[in-house]
Amino acid sequence: MNLFHEKSHATTRRHFLGKFGLGALALSLLDGRAASAALSGATSDPMAPRAPHFVPRAKRVIYLHMAGSPPQQDLFDHKPKLAELNGQPCPDSFLQMERFAFIKGHPTILGSPYKFAPHGQAGITTSELLPHFHSISDDVTLVNSMFTDQFNHAPAQLFLYTGAPRPERPSMGAWATYGLGTDNSDLPGFVVLVSGGRQPDGGKATFGSGWLPSVYQGVQCRTVGDPVLYVSDPPGMDRAGRRRSLDALRDLNEKQAAYFGDDETLTRISQYELAFRMQVSVPDVMDISKEPPEVHEMYGTAPGKQSLANNCLLARRLVERGVRFVQIFDWGWDIHGTGPSDDLITHLPAKCKEMDRPVAALIKDLKQRGLLDDTLVVFSGEFGRTAMNEARNGSTFLGRDHHPHCFSIWMAGGGVKRGYVHGATDELGYRITKDPVHIHDLQATILHILGMDHERLTYRFQGRDFRLTDVHGKVVKALLA
Amino acid sequence: MLGVGVPRTSEPSSNAASPSPTAAGPVDFNADIRPILSNNCFKCHGPDEAKAEGGLRLDTLEHATAPTKKNHRAIVPGKPGESELIKRVASKDDDVRMPPPEMHKTLTPAEVATLSKWIEEGAAYKPHWSLVPPVRGESPAVKNTAWCRSFIDAHVLARLEKEGLSPSPEADKETLLRRVSLDLTGLPPSPKEIDDFLADTSDAAYERVVDRLLASDAYGERWARLWLDLARFADTKGYEKDDRRTIWPYRDWVIRAFNSDMPFDRFTVAQIAGDLLDNSSDDDLIATAFHRNTMNNDEGGTDDEEFRSAAVVDRVNTTMQVWMGVTAGCAQCHSHKYDPISHREYFGLYAFLNQTQDADQPDESPTFMVGSAEDKAKLAALDASLRDREAELAAYVAKNDTTDAGKAEADRLTKARDAARAEADAQRAKLPSLPIFRDLPPEKRRTTKIHLKGSFLTQGDPVEPGVPAAYGDLREGEPRNRLGFARWLVDRSNPLTARVAVNRCWEQFFGTGLVETVEDFGSQAPLPTHPALLDALAVDFMDHAWSMKQLCKSIVTSATYRQSSRARAECMERDARNRLLWRGPRFRLDAEMLRDSALSAAGLLSRKLYGPSVFPRQPDGIWAMPYSGDSWVLSAGEDRFRRALYTFFRRTAPYPSMMTFDAGSRESCLPRRIRTNTPLQALTTLNDPVFVEAAQGVARRAVREGGSDPKSRAAYIIKLCIGRAQRDGEAERLLSLYEGEIAHYRANNDNAIKMATDPLGPLPEGMNAPELAAWTVVANVVLNLDETLTKN
Repeated sequence: MNLFHEKSHATTRRHFLGKFGLGALALSLLDGRAASAALSGATSDPMAPRAPHFVPRAKRVIYLHMAGSPPQQDLFDHKPKLAELNGQPCPDSFLQMERFAFIKGHPTILGSPYKFAPHGQAGITTSELLPHFHSISDDVTLVNSMFTDQFNHAPAQLFLYTGAPRPERPSMGAWATYGLGTDNSDLPGFVVLVSGGRQPDGGKATFGSGWLPSVYQGVQCRTVGDPVLYVSDPPGMDRAGRRRSLDALRDLNEKQAAYFGDDETLTRISQYELAFRMQVSVPDVMDISKEPPEVHEMYGTAPGKQSLANNCLLARRLVERGVRFVQIFDWGWDIHGTGPSDDLITHLPAKCKEMDRPVAALIKDLKQRGLLDDTLVVFSGEFGRTAMNEARNGSTFLGRDHHPHCFSIWMAGGGVKRGYVHGATDELGYRITKDPVHIHDLQATILHILGMDHERLTYRFQGRDFRLTDVHGKVVKALLA
Repeated sequence: MLGVGVPRTSEPSSNAASPSPTAAGPVDFNADIRPILSNNCFKCHGPDEAKAEGGLRLDTLEHATAPTKKNHRAIVPGKPGESELIKRVASKDDDVRMPPPEMHKTLTPAEVATLSKWIEEGAAYKPHWSLVPPVRGESPAVKNTAWCRSFIDAHVLARLEKEGLSPSPEADKETLLRRVSLDLTGLPPSPKEIDDFLADTSDAAYERVVDRLLASDAYGERWARLWLDLARFADTKGYEKDDRRTIWPYRDWVIRAFNSDMPFDRFTVAQIAGDLLDNSSDDDLIATAFHRNTMNNDEGGTDDEEFRSAAVVDRVNTTMQVWMGVTAGCAQCHSHKYDPISHREYFGLYAFLNQTQDADQPDESPTFMVGSAEDKAKLAALDASLRDREAELAAYVAKNDTTDAGKAEADRLTKARDAARAEADAQRAKLPSLPIFRDLPPEKRRTTKIHLKGSFLTQGDPVEPGVPAAYGDLREGEPRNRLGFARWLVDRSNPLTARVAVNRCWEQFFGTGLVETVEDFGSQAPLPTHPALLDALAVDFMDHAWSMKQLCKSIVTSATYRQSSRARAECMERDARNRLLWRGPRFRLDAEMLRDSALSAAGLLSRKLYGPSVFPRQPDGIWAMPYSGDSWVLSAGEDRFRRALYTFFRRTAPYPSMMTFDAGSRESCLPRRIRTNTPLQALTTLNDPVFVEAAQGVARRAVREGGSDPKSRAAYIIKLCIGRAQRDGEAERLLSLYEGEIAHYRANNDNAIKMATDPLGPLPEGMNAPELAAWTVVANVVLNLDETLTKN
């Protein structure tokens, strides 16, 4: 119900005024959530930590999104048959009832130009483009049987993050913080980091709050300019000056609180104090220059740059400090093969080089700090890519078109299996043959790992209880250790 | 919690224990029973005939008393003991009990008792209150008649007296002036307006102010802001590419419509079907851009029909929500689970809106060129001349004359062509073309079919245009097209439109609607706090020819509105959210008002009206979008300081401070902004260069206009920002801040210059940097005071 926010403030008032006990108060307000779950939290701050529905496997999430969608056939889902049939027309059955974003006419099969081999104890077979990933593949669950309903970037990204292909609904990180609050009130609970120079295709709705209160929207932390918008004091004002002015502000606000008796004023006073603390804590967490050289070496980071490597290190620093949900977008994975800047031979290896080392470093770093056990890391694009060469307008560069019927993602930490491959596709990697996992199933599973029942985490809007998984989704128990 | 007994209205009595139904009078279906059934049963046993689990529907008496598949009777009127419904909801057995365990819902013993009592009393069903057209009843009798200024007050007071509460005294004049100025115009009063009002001690002083505000241009801008949220107005097309769209003339039409007090019924018909009116004017065509604000997908490989269909769905949902407070969207995929709209009826609505020419094309056709006949004629002439120049050049090039003279001639003709093109383009730029509604010619009309499970790809039976039966029907003789539909929306027989409109208006003034869910008046919505008042307002609105200004005036002149907003402990305990209106409204200003107020206090706000959207200060990097080279280029001069509603709105990257203060993304209709209170808001009003610039402006005004004594300047800053005299030692506290700051900045002149001038600009003649910097810090504090950010 939308009263949640206002009522939670009403609770704040009572809390501040001390007229009522802390008590049950606004507890039934997290609509759809069992009151018993909220009982343990029992405070008014909408970002205050709240107990989940049941014992969680992970407390926080780092979601690594490769915007544009990397080709599964060249990285994770080994298909020797494709190489065998390379250059031959694809089977007619591939074209029946199909719409493609760009492919026209009868395309030809495209075998992966890259070698695959098994790695680690579990022997997960992956591509030579991911040498660092080989060293962590014993820690991951690889899902080769993901599928989606959407075959264009923006709708597919929105579908993945909001459960619906058009912008309007809350995103996964918003649901997570709505359900659980956050563990560090000096930092935003849901942080978004972007690299590759572009926002995701789906725009801000991929990390928005939809019709949830806006307090749950993802806060984009930037590596260039203010890390959070307006976190810096104005030119000519130093920290001591800001403190002096906030002292005056608080004194006057307290007078006004007494005059009007409106507890919203008290909430506001506390939000200004929090803002003051964030002015220190946000730049502090965003400043990776203090990390020791071996950490920079591990991640391949260079302070002051906008890069996926920097963002991976930042993600670790953020979850270490209790941020609930870190959403990373890296732009540039849309491997169509229209030219050297988006092809399989030049561009894909370059992107993999940027990604592979820091992503593997993130897993190792979380592990060595004991954070991997209760942090879930997810790596995905928004859909898959075709088994056929796109050859748009007769392009001679190799590339693959959008493909919703199957793709690969992986997960690590947070109580998912280690060194496990889930699901399978046919020999041409065109359709799923075993254990399909739909986007709504993935969402249900992520919420489950966080200790929430996706059918109970609801929000009433326009007369209906909405949830991340719409009216679908099953937890994929097989992924859990 | 629902008050189960008397009074049968939503909320309050909240903390006080509600009398149990067994103790009070007869059970009322709408107040007591429908919410229980709707919340717990209708999802599987409601109006959705396809669902009707076990063959049971509980939404009508006829269905509920009919034998189910297992030959049970859910309800046997007068006999709760024989009613399967009671057996099931009261059962302790998981296999028997309803709702089933996976629903995570269980009825309370009190709810079961209420259901039993209702069945015992005969199980009378009533249509949902919102389906019965409003009737204006007698104003209720009250004890404190002296307090009442209008019928509004009688309704409010009657409820307060019933609850044993009393209204608050009238707010002081300064508070009231600021409140009503912000509410009617979105702008705070100027110092002169404050002085004038304080000086006018006549009884009519307040009403004079109200009339002045209603007559000002700013009124239309303020109310357009609200309407633009509903219209999902934006300057881009949305989806991935999110290219620019020229549609600002529609925004200007809305402002003008409010300013001219266009009756709401005409306002409605123009937007839904202005193109179908006899002799429709240019303005009528521009108005139809309301529904061309739907998103347009230019991404490669998309199916235009999919996105055309998505736009029509959006139009159906938006129309039903904006005018009727009906959440029709559910019925796109299946019959509505709570409200009486079947899947088929949904597509009856869809059919009304399915005959327009637009089809998700990149050029957004059909479009309409806005401008005078003279300007259009001039463009036509320039275009003709351009064609002539092009023809001349082409003819000459065809001769293939390669001599020097020939090349010179080709050069001359090329220049002539380019000049003609530049001239035509310059004229075209004066004549914006915006997307509008036009119907398809009769031979190209579409046949509307049900979209099975909401998918445009799997279509079922054909459907004729029509409105859901429960809401009435078009008047006899009306065309069964968009125009007939538009007129039906504002027909007096329509039970919802006037109620929804007055409720939305009420919410703007009081922060919460009489029906809290302004977007949903259906079965799942909370009941109105003051149902008779809602109906009286609705009828009064129609009786005054749907005049929005009259509606606003009747609200702001009521004693209810004029109350002080100071809390009283005894009332806070009973009704902390002020749903009973025992005090005046107090809540944070919306995003646009915050910005406009700060710029206004600073004397920076431009009062230029209308025109293309503008680009005020925005941090770098907000517009880094895929597939777009478009960039944010800071507007020059006063366009930097226009009212917030003129700010260019890009759907995938909205203006950041607006988003922080709860504005939506304008991707779909936003009937209600949920207010939040966050640290990011504090950072914005403290540090956003727009607000720092405003603080610098306020500081300069204080030095210029606030007298020479620092204390009087501090008081003047309060007057500029909060519209009242300083109180309770506030000026002294600001003065002590000022003294500390000026000492600090005297020792740091470089910082003083930055604080006083970045980004507003060089120090004015005769002002010194440390002094101005110190006043800027003071102004920054005052602009961030709770009372400044709040309507008091």
